[in-house]
Amino acid sequence: MRDFHPLRLSEVRPEIEGAATSLIFDVPQDLQATFQWQAGQHLTLRFMIDGVEERRSYTISNPPWAPLRITVKQVYKGKVSHHVAGLAPGDTVEVIPPFGSFCLTPQPMGRRTHYFFGSGSGITPLFAMINAVLQEEPYSVAHLIYGNADEPSILLREELEALQDRHGDRFTLRHVISSPSMWSWFSPWRKGRVDKDAIAAAIEETPPEAQDVQYWICGPGAMNRDVKTALMSMDVPDTRIHMESFGGTEAENDGVTGVKATATVRLDGADHQIAMAADQTLLQALQANGLSVPYSCQSGVCGACRCQVTEGTVHMRNRMALEDADIANGAALSCQSLATSETLGVNFDR
Amino acid sequence: MSTMYHHLPVEAYTSQEWFDREQRLIFSRSWRFAGLVEDVPGPGHYISVQAGLNNLFIVMGRDHRLRAFHNICRHRGTQLIRAVGKTQKALTCPYHDWTYDLEGNLISVPDEEREFPGGVDKSCLGLKPASVDVWRGMLFVHPDPNPPSLAEWFGAVDPHLGPHDPNELVEYEEARSSYDIKANWKIVVENYIDVYHLSHLHSDTLHMYDHAKAKFGWEGPHYHFWEPPSADYAKNLEKNLPTPRVIPEPHVGAWVPMLFPGIGLGASEESWNLFIITPLGPDLTRIENRSKLADASSWEYSKQQWSSWSFWKDFGGAKYKGEDAQGEDDPMASRDFTAEDVYACEQQQKALTSPYLEIGPAAKGESPILMHQQAVLEFMEAQEKRS
Ligand code: FES
Ligand SMILES: [Fe+2]
Repeated sequence: MRDFHPLRLSEVRPEIEGAATSLIFDVPQDLQATFQWQAGQHLTLRFMIDGVEERRSYTISNPPWAPLRITVKQVYKGKVSHHVAGLAPGDTVEVIPPFGSFCLTPQPMGRRTHYFFGSGSGITPLFAMINAVLQEEPYSVAHLIYGNADEPSILLREELEALQDRHGDRFTLRHVISSPSMWSWFSPWRKGRVDKDAIAAAIEETPPEAQDVQYWICGPGAMNRDVKTALMSMDVPDTRIHMESFGGTEAENDGVTGVKATATVRLDGADHQIAMAADQTLLQALQANGLSVPYSCQSGVCGACRCQVTEGTVHMRNRMALEDADIANGAALSCQSLATSETLGVNFDR
Repeated sequence: MSTMYHHLPVEAYTSQEWFDREQRLIFSRSWRFAGLVEDVPGPGHYISVQAGLNNLFIVMGRDHRLRAFHNICRHRGTQLIRAVGKTQKALTCPYHDWTYDLEGNLISVPDEEREFPGGVDKSCLGLKPASVDVWRGMLFVHPDPNPPSLAEWFGAVDPHLGPHDPNELVEYEEARSSYDIKANWKIVVENYIDVYHLSHLHSDTLHMYDHAKAKFGWEGPHYHFWEPPSADYAKNLEKNLPTPRVIPEPHVGAWVPMLFPGIGLGASEESWNLFIITPLGPDLTRIENRSKLADASSWEYSKQQWSSWSFWKDFGGAKYKGEDAQGEDDPMASRDFTAEDVYACEQQQKALTSPYLEIGPAAKGESPILMHQQAVLEFMEAQEKRS
């Protein structure tokens, strides 16, 4: 399942004047089922750049019935994003099929109000989700509050505006701009950040009509935390908030230390015994023992390295890719897990 | 063999047993009208409504989302829940001050250590969740926390309900009323959806619409009805409307659907009205009327009233006049279609106890009555299967 497949690029399109690049993949007939996705899921890509293997996860920026597309924002001095910008149609890229638990499954007869809070390239999964709602949840409504530094850096702007024209009765779009240019005619809904005041104002302007309300957040880690805190201070229960962080989440060292442990790992039908040092993550320990398990972002964001804890306990430094309910059911991210009990059982096969 | 009233035995309209079954299987198992969105205008506001056998409580959080719970304190069951505090973050029962948060979790029990030496497991004493949703500016509640959505319930009938957006209209408080009819709730529904009687019982009270051109039908258990203005009224319709329009031109006519169970709407070019039917007993039914009109200036209202005056001043009259009327209080001389309907319903209910009762053939315009009886039977049957 989590294997790399070579896919041919059918289109490479520069966005926002070259500051981002969209890649559209040609999925051959026999891989169509494998590459089925839910709005909000990612692809992991593997590149060889200067002889070094680089892996990155990118959210699919199209809804499930449209072509398989990712949109990569140019990062200053970013090796991978520059490499991506240099790709051409016909090139082949190695890709792990879509996965991720930050996804919106449309309910055709559901009646929901979805609030989306995004900033920067955090729009990509939200864009896919908004499309899914507008197309496949005809009785639901979507509100987007979208933060950017300035007007030129707004990703997918025309496409969002087109959605607003087409679905004006079910979709509202609000731009929040933190450093507006003096020379722009563009007047955003609000200046500043997607903070508590902006969130409260948006909800008050367009309060939920459908009462099954869901909140989707995608931006850098700090914004996610702030939006979540703001929502919870307005009585929004945890279970209705879904988020994923985007860009710049280095594994934070939260000061918790693990213990030296022996782990029994079930992988591809076989059990392996490995030793874990106190400061070693499960992924590091596996790699040190020459075992290869799926992984991608190594920062707890993508969920590729997910496994099931069957015995003992772990501490996760970062756990963006998991919902609280997953964790309650024993899910763990191996790239983030330190052992906190001396024996550990983990399973990668389910 | 009991006497049949078309598809239902007469007891369906008279016996306590049928009433109890309907309470249990229909009114406690379906989406009930709970009010207008204006009734819970902001965070911290709450209302409670009786929905069949359930008393449900709706409260709005600071996120502007409504929550619904069964109004049953998990201590002794008391129906006393209120939202309190400056931020209305807590729901409390004043009997012994047990307190719940807005998700229904029990968060505090006074004198916990002293009164409950064995401890109380607060985690399994949360308020029981119910459902609430909004449709066309109306609040609906359902006792089940995971009922079929309002889209599943009303989606198919919605396109037949008229172009009205009640959210844009304002309530006309003077028209808000509640009264009881001494008849079974189904008699009241049947009267509401009886197309045949319109030109007869209301021969001189509702003839601004052309009943012969009525279009009506069903979507599941929901009835929909539309009729155009009569030729006389339509000749100068814009001038003749008694109050400003609530829907854009060129929409005309009256939409008078009956949503299941007992949720009547009556909407026309210039108003949007609710007729909510709640059974109180086998032969007693409560009606609640609410009305919304255009959000227009008093100047526009005066203008419309003035322009329509000549049409309405000679419009309508008593069903029976002069010698035919039985004195001043005769509903048949009331010139009021509601009085005419109430009288007809009550007189029909009385007839149901006569041993000589025998129901005659149903007219084409009475076909909705048979369909409604069928809907009642089918809904109860489906619910009985579930339990
Ligand atoms: S019955 Fe509610 S606190 Fe006792
Ligand atoms: Fe009538």
